[in-house]
Amino acid sequence: MSAARVAPRSQTGTTRGAIVIDDVVKIYDPDGAAVMAVDHCSLDIEAGEICMIVGPSGCGKTTLLNAIAGFHEITSGRILLDGEVLCSSEKPKADPGSDRIVVFQNGALFPWKTNLDNVAFGPLMQGELNKSDALEKARGMMADAGLAGVEHNFPGEVSSGMRRRVEIVRALMNEPKVLLLDEPYRALDSLTKSVMHEALLEIYYKNKVTIFFITHDLEEAIFLGHKVAIMTTRPCKPKKILEVDIPHPRDYGVLTSKRFRELMEETNDAVHEEALKAFAAGEKEG
Amino acid sequence: MSGEHQVVESIAAILRQAMPFQVLSEEMLQKIAALGRRVSFGKDAPVYDVGDKADDIYVVVRGTVEHALEPGAHAQRPVVMLGAGSVFGWAALLDKYQHRLARAVCRQPTEIVRINGDELLRLLESEPEAGNVVMSRFATMITRDYTVPDLIAQLRQLHARKRGGNVQGINLTAYRLLQWSKSPRPYLMLIGFALFLGFWYLSVEVWKLPRFREMPGLIEVVKEWLSPNPTYGLSIYTAEYYQHIGVSIWRVAQAFFLATVLGVPFGLFLGWSKKFKEYVFPVFETLRPIPILAWVPLAIVMFIATESAVIYLTFLASFFATALNTMLGVESIDESYVRAANCLGASKSQVFRHVIVPGALPFIFTGLQISIGVSWFSLVAAEMVSGQYGLGYVINTSYTMVRYPTIVIGMITLGAVGYVTSAMVRVAGDYLMQWRTRELALGGQ
Repeated sequence: MSAARVAPRSQTGTTRGAIVIDDVVKIYDPDGAAVMAVDHCSLDIEAGEICMIVGPSGCGKTTLLNAIAGFHEITSGRILLDGEVLCSSEKPKADPGSDRIVVFQNGALFPWKTNLDNVAFGPLMQGELNKSDALEKARGMMADAGLAGVEHNFPGEVSSGMRRRVEIVRALMNEPKVLLLDEPYRALDSLTKSVMHEALLEIYYKNKVTIFFITHDLEEAIFLGHKVAIMTTRPCKPKKILEVDIPHPRDYGVLTSKRFRELMEETNDAVHEEALKAFAAGEKEG
Repeated sequence: MSGEHQVVESIAAILRQAMPFQVLSEEMLQKIAALGRRVSFGKDAPVYDVGDKADDIYVVVRGTVEHALEPGAHAQRPVVMLGAGSVFGWAALLDKYQHRLARAVCRQPTEIVRINGDELLRLLESEPEAGNVVMSRFATMITRDYTVPDLIAQLRQLHARKRGGNVQGINLTAYRLLQWSKSPRPYLMLIGFALFLGFWYLSVEVWKLPRFREMPGLIEVVKEWLSPNPTYGLSIYTAEYYQHIGVSIWRVAQAFFLATVLGVPFGLFLGWSKKFKEYVFPVFETLRPIPILAWVPLAIVMFIATESAVIYLTFLASFFATALNTMLGVESIDESYVRAANCLGASKSQVFRHVIVPGALPFIFTGLQISIGVSWFSLVAAEMVSGQYGLGYVINTSYTMVRYPTIVIGMITLGAVGYVTSAMVRVAGDYLMQWRTRELALGGQ
C-alpha cells in the first residue's frame, strides 16, 4: 500500500518526502472542554510536491503542521513519511528531526548568531560535518541563494525578506525531505512577497524537496502550489483539493494568465465561504 | 600629465553638480573623478538596454538621455529625460540586480562620464563615513528622481562596515566614546553637576537654609578631601582612604562573583525545568523580599568571622536579583527558537548551550546591573553593622565620632566607585551581546 504512494511523481522526479495524513483527529482539552481542532483529516502529498494548505486564520492548519513536525500530539489517526509512521494513536507525538524542517511564521533565526552560523547550525549540531566543512557548505549555499555578503551580519541587521531566505537556506543545509512553512511571508509587504515567491521557486527548482506550505492567501497558493488544499474552518479538514495544472517552472507571468484566473474563480467561493464561517464563529466566541 | 590633470579637473567639476557627490570633500571628488572616463554618443545612440550587464554608472555632461525603466522596477514614472548633472546607470550599485533595469538612449549628441561601479564602491569603502553619505544619497535619488520603490533601490553594502570578530567590540566602544565626546551630552552632564554643586554650596554656606546649614559645606568637604593634612584623618593623601576603598571593592567583588556564579546557573535551571521551579520557586519568593538588614543578626550568628558575614550579606541580595532575572530571561525566549533547534537536530544539552543561554543573556545582564547596584547597597548596610574597614564603616564611625565632612567624602566615593563598577558590567554586556547592540544601533538610526 505504502509502496504505491511512495512512487515518484513524474512531474517532480523526486522519490523522497511523500507524506500521508490518514484520518487524523486532534482534540484540545483545555479545562475539560474538548475542542476539536482537526477532524478526520486525510491528505496525500506526493514526493517533491508543493502542497499549499489554505484556510482562514485559526482554522487548525498549524495544528496539522505541528503534528508533522513533532511539536504536538495527535489524538487519533496517523501520519506517514515515505511509508514510515511518524505518529499514530500508539505514538501520538512524532520525534522532531532534520528530515522535516519548519520555517516559522515570525522567523526563528537565532538573533545571537550570525547568518552564516545560523545556516551552519544543523550539520554542526548533528555532528554531520566538522566546523570548517559546515561553514564552507553554508557559504556555498548562501551564495547560491543570492545571499553572499551578509554572512557575517546578524539577522537583525538584514531586511525581513532576506531573513526568510536565510532561514530557508538554513533548513535546506540539512537536506530535509520536507520543508514545513507556516505562513512565512505573512508579515511581508506585497512587493517583497512577490520577490520572495520567485526566490522560493528558484530554490525549489534547485533542491526539489516536498513543501508543505500554510497560507491564507489563495493567490499565493495557486501561484506556488502543485496542489492546493482548501481547509474548512475549525475543525480543520480538506474541503476541496485542487490540482494546479499550470506547468512548472512558473514565473510572475502566470498571475495574469487565463488558466490562473479560472482556477482562482473556481476556488474563491470555497475560501470565502470558510472565511465567513470563521468570522461568524469568532463573533460567537467573542 | 597636465592634460590628464585637466581632464580629471573637468570631471570633478561635473561631479560637483551631481546630487550624490555634492557633499564630498574636494580630495575625494578628485579621486572619484580619476576613475571617470568621458565618452561621446551621437543622436539616438543607445547607452545600454534592459538586461545588459550593469558595470558602470554614468553622469551626463551635456546633451539629453531618455531613461525608460522596465515594468519590473515598479517605477511610478518610468520614463525620464536626463540633462547635465544627472546620474543614471545606478543598477551597478544595486544589491539584488546586476543587470540593467532600464533602457537609456541619447536624444541629442551627448557627452557622458562613466565610472565603474565596483571601483567606485572600493573607493567609498576607503572612507566609509563619506562613502555612506554618498550611498544614502544614491538611495534617495533612486527613490525620489526615478520613483522606484525602496525594495528595488537596495544598494550594495560598503564592506568596510563589516568587520569580523573581536576587534568589533573594542572598536564599537571606542567609536561610541568618540561619538559621545562630539555630541552635546558631555556638556549637559557637566552643567548638571555644576548646578548640583552650586546648589549645595549656596544652600549650606551662603544662604544657610534651615536643615541645610547643619550639613558640611562644599568648600569644607573639598578642602578636607584634597588636604595633605586632613583635620579628621581621611583624604586622598592618606593611605587609609585607599585601604577603605580597596576593602569595599574586594568585598563587593567576592560577593558579586559568588552571586553571579551561583545565581546565573540557578536562574537558568529555574527557567529551564518546570519541576525544579515548582519545588524551589515558592521558597525563593518568600526569602527574596526579606530586607538585608533583617538578615544581619542571623548572619552574625552563622559566621563567626565578621568578614564572611559581611560578604554573605552583600551576596544575598545580588544573588536574588541575578537568579530572578536569569529565570525571567529563560522564560522570555520565544518557543520557536527551541523548536527550530529541535528541528535542526540539536540535543537537549545543545539547545541549552546554543539557545537558552544566549537567549537569556539580555535579561541576565539586566540582572547583573541590578545585582552590582544592590551589592553596594547591602555592603554599606553590612559594614555599618559589623566590620572594621570599608566605606560603610567610614561613614558610620565618622558619624559617631562627629567627623561630618568625612561622611560626605565616604558617600561621594561610594557613588563614584559604584558608578564605575556598574559601567563595567554594562560594557561587558555590550561586548558579549554584539548582536543586540548592533540591532539596537540600527533601530536607533
